[in-house]
Amino acid sequence: MVDEKELRDAVKNTVEKKDVKYVVGYEKGTYGFQATPCFAYDAKDADKFIFSPLCVHNLAVFPMLEERPPLRKGEEPDTRKVGVVVKGCDGRAIVQIIQEKGLDRDKVVIIGIPCTGVVDPKKIEAKFPGNVENVDVTDDKDNFIVTIDGKTHKVPKGELMPDKCKTCEYPTPALYDVLIGKEVKSTKKEDYKDVKSFEKKPLKEKWDYWEKQFDKCIRCYACRNACPLCYCKECMVDQLNPQWVRRSVDVPENTAWNLLRAFHLAGRCIGCGQCERACPMDIPLMELNKKIEKEIKEMFEYIPGIDAEEKPLLAMFKPDDPEDFIL
Amino acid sequence: MKEKFEPNIIGFLCNWCSYAGADLAGTSRIQYPPNLKVIRVMCSGRVNPIFVINALQQGADGVLIGGCHPGDCHYERGNYLARRRMAVLKKLLEHTGIDPNRVRMTWVSAAEGNKFAEVVKEVTEDIRKLGPMEQFKRDNKW
Repeated sequence: MVDEKELRDAVKNTVEKKDVKYVVGYEKGTYGFQATPCFAYDAKDADKFIFSPLCVHNLAVFPMLEERPPLRKGEEPDTRKVGVVVKGCDGRAIVQIIQEKGLDRDKVVIIGIPCTGVVDPKKIEAKFPGNVENVDVTDDKDNFIVTIDGKTHKVPKGELMPDKCKTCEYPTPALYDVLIGKEVKSTKKEDYKDVKSFEKKPLKEKWDYWEKQFDKCIRCYACRNACPLCYCKECMVDQLNPQWVRRSVDVPENTAWNLLRAFHLAGRCIGCGQCERACPMDIPLMELNKKIEKEIKEMFEYIPGIDAEEKPLLAMFKPDDPEDFIL
Repeated sequence: MKEKFEPNIIGFLCNWCSYAGADLAGTSRIQYPPNLKVIRVMCSGRVNPIFVINALQQGADGVLIGGCHPGDCHYERGNYLARRRMAVLKKLLEHTGIDPNRVRMTWVSAAEGNKFAEVVKEVTEDIRKLGPMEQFKRDNKW
């Protein structure tokens, strides 16, 4: 359980510093099971900050989203820092961005929150359907306590948690300036059970499954926009010359897009599950990401988002990398 | 009458070793299947996985990437980087149900004309067995 007063005080202290532009955090959403990202530009904005298991977003996207228009003549660039409220997985995203030099360590203030698991919006909406207001979700060891209009429900965590939280190994941010509350140690272990069982299927069956999934894709690129690590200035699918992936929405192009998206996150994806959460067509994108995560762990003994000093996976090599597939 | 399937293979060959190896195979008059369409790249490290997926999309049944032997790269580390990339790409393709044998990688030095011919023969036969690539071929409607 996170002490919200402590969080607000930390945000206040951070925003009041002269070299901090704003802090990104969560506020209560307008309706339903929602928490919305919000910004604090000065100390009084910090009062609306909350943290509950409904805070599912990965706020590490925000420092990367910021638009930097060309400077006017004589204008000084804004070098102030940006503060971010992060959970364990979001913290790994920040570490990964710093590792690949997307962001300077001294350009962010990381307010870390030891996380004990969040709620999957799709699962909770299925469990409590209809129009709901005055929602409050709190954390109580192995249960979520959901309060809707004064009525409390006790739901076991396994029912409402997204899959990524069930196997989360890093609940406390690896890198932080301020930590709210005490560090949480995880007893969970990532065993890639689903990936392994899918691997055993024959190729034909695998393709039939993925063809159905990719056929659903409407190419809204929500997965890309929600992803903290997809921050290229121009994405390869938006590029027109050369145009690698056409804009038509059909199986060949959708497959190319989804494969390339997964590949571009190879050795970078930290498994925050934002792509899957944002996907309006419920494509299980994390299955591809998890597969790559598992393979790079086995082949190159590399785990992304742990050490900011390490070199990015595909930018380095070892002379004895596996090469059994080479003729 | 059904036409016999002839595989269409795109080869990304590195300028310094594999391309010269193919050249040597030609000048030494070694026979090898004509199914390989060669694209010369300056280094196997230049081969972006986007090229591979795009080739498969546009009607290639297989892709062969040729580079220098480890340690011999003209740019010192290009082939090592390509090796990592392709290892990951092959696992990803396998997971989505595309036979990973459609993407092959080989080390051929400029002196190995024989090896180049052998590799092309092997790859062509493998892909002939796999049959045409149908999963995500682009259909050009106009």
